[in-house]
Amino acid sequence: MHTPSTAKPGTRTITMKIKRCDGPGKPERWESFSLSVTTGQGMNIIAALQVIAAKPVTVEGSRTTPVVWDSGCLEEVCGACTMVVNGKVRQTCSALLDQIAPNDGDVVTLEPMSKFPVVRDLSVNRQRVFHNLKRVSAWVPIDGTYALGPGPRETPAEQEVRYTLSTCMSCGCCLEACPQFNQEPDSKNWDTAFLGAHAISQARLFNSHATGKELAPQRLDALSGPGGVGDCGNAQNCVKVCPKKIPLTESIGAMGRAVTIHAVKKLFTMK
Amino acid sequence: MSNTPVSQSSVSFLDRHHLLLRRLHSLSGIVPIGVFLIAHLVTNSSIMWGKVGLRGDGADMSLAEGGAFYFHKEVVWINNSIPHLLLIELTLWAAIAFHSVLGFVYAFSGRSNTRNYGYGANWRYTLQRISGYIGILFIFYHVATLRWGWSFLVPGGTTWSHHYAASTLALSLRGGTEITLAGVLVSAFYFVGITLLVFHFANGLWTSAITWGLTVSQRAQQQWGYACAAIGTGLMLAAWASLLGFFLLDPVQATRVEQAYYQKYGQPIPKRHHLTDQNITPLKTEPSTLGKN
Ligand code: SF4
Ligand code: SF4
Ligand code: FES
Repeated sequence: MHTPSTAKPGTRTITMKIKRCDGPGKPERWESFSLSVTTGQGMNIIAALQVIAAKPVTVEGSRTTPVVWDSGCLEEVCGACTMVVNGKVRQTCSALLDQIAPNDGDVVTLEPMSKFPVVRDLSVNRQRVFHNLKRVSAWVPIDGTYALGPGPRETPAEQEVRYTLSTCMSCGCCLEACPQFNQEPDSKNWDTAFLGAHAISQARLFNSHATGKELAPQRLDALSGPGGVGDCGNAQNCVKVCPKKIPLTESIGAMGRAVTIHAVKKLFTMK
Repeated sequence: MSNTPVSQSSVSFLDRHHLLLRRLHSLSGIVPIGVFLIAHLVTNSSIMWGKVGLRGDGADMSLAEGGAFYFHKEVVWINNSIPHLLLIELTLWAAIAFHSVLGFVYAFSGRSNTRNYGYGANWRYTLQRISGYIGILFIFYHVATLRWGWSFLVPGGTTWSHHYAASTLALSLRGGTEITLAGVLVSAFYFVGITLLVFHFANGLWTSAITWGLTVSQRAQQQWGYACAAIGTGLMLAAWASLLGFFLLDPVQATRVEQAYYQKYGQPIPKRHHLTDQNITPLKTEPSTLGKN
């Protein structure tokens, strides 16, 4: 992501080609906007969208509505600005135009993620990402009426693994790129549709937490059921697109192992 | 939510036994199907290396004669010495049916996206599905024509017989005594079928290790990947050797070798239903002089 810019000094004109949609169920259309970019100013896609919003006139010269998008942190930690840029999913706040459109006349296509319902234009509803965290109980159970005392100690080795897993921002990149994770318009099916790498990896994070372990059987039940880790097809796109470089395929292997052991245990205890 | 009780009857059979079926699907691809595949390719490729396998017995045979002799011997052994052969076959067919039916169900839940994400593993994911679809078509044709006797689908109409295993197989692949266009097409389909199936097995072996949680770390997955690639390459060579060996085998010569086999072991020569227009004189000689005919 931090490849040096290949853009020549000076100002160039690029085209932003944006997939637009006025709301759920409304037809889609493409609109292109021309944008002048000066090398070295560090303009990202969000800044480009702000320029377009200030003067929403297409390359054909017709006036249109400002493009709607989501963003939050602007430093690649919240995941709100996730879109499909030139066919691949990524955060747009960290997408610098000097890197992705270094030449005069370059075209940048922007589409909303395809696995989540479009709210408007580039903004999607990622509710299912968070629903999937609930399915695997991705939390540490500490609710109670009394003080629980100091937390458990963790070895540096455990910390190292868990720290990386904990950097997940639920952006949805790994779900967008996954051939097994697909748009599920009917929320009644959300409990049986594939969880995706994100929730599988979070289940691993909380199963390896000294207190979070308490809920491990519950998480493994969810991972054994329909839509669980068994539905992964090992295409391994998730690990390629994760902006946080989370070893998702290792999480999938680790949870595959945990689910295997869990199933054998259940077989013998007949629970 | 997963902890909301759901009445058992409202959940489909597939969902209720989700993990069990997934794992049986994975397992069935290795045992019995994969194990059979290995044995099958080792036997069939003997058409190429059989002369070596015969040791002294094959000294005077040509490569093709030695291959045909050895292969024929193997097939006779399989048909005469393995107990409950039909039961083994039925188990295998049931496993293949189970693996492919579930495979279709699972494959339909995915949407390939190699256009935007052209990574190696993603291509293998897509190929795994395509090889499954074409592979099962091939298996059906292969078993129907050579085992169930659907000879109307064989160019030249040969019925495969284990009494004349090598020659009738060569006839089926070539489309007759001489290579015909239809025979080339059938053999080309064999080439596609066996290549895809060997890939399917090797790649499935790789993914199953992740599925079962045997390979967890990236390094372990990579190393097992190399091992699977090596296994796949070996089986691929065996598969191609088998096809090439039988495609190039002269059916008349092969028949002569098969008849010499029965003579050598003092068995009655089975009735020939193929090459009936060809006057093949069984060799009165020991196979050790076959090469000089
Ligand atoms: S695992 Fe990576 S790609 Fe997936 S939601 Fe978390 S940060 Fe995003
Ligand atoms: S490895 Fe599994 S979760 Fe990751 S992209 Fe492939 S199918 Fe999806
Ligand atoms: S705005 Fe938060 S990740 Fe881009």
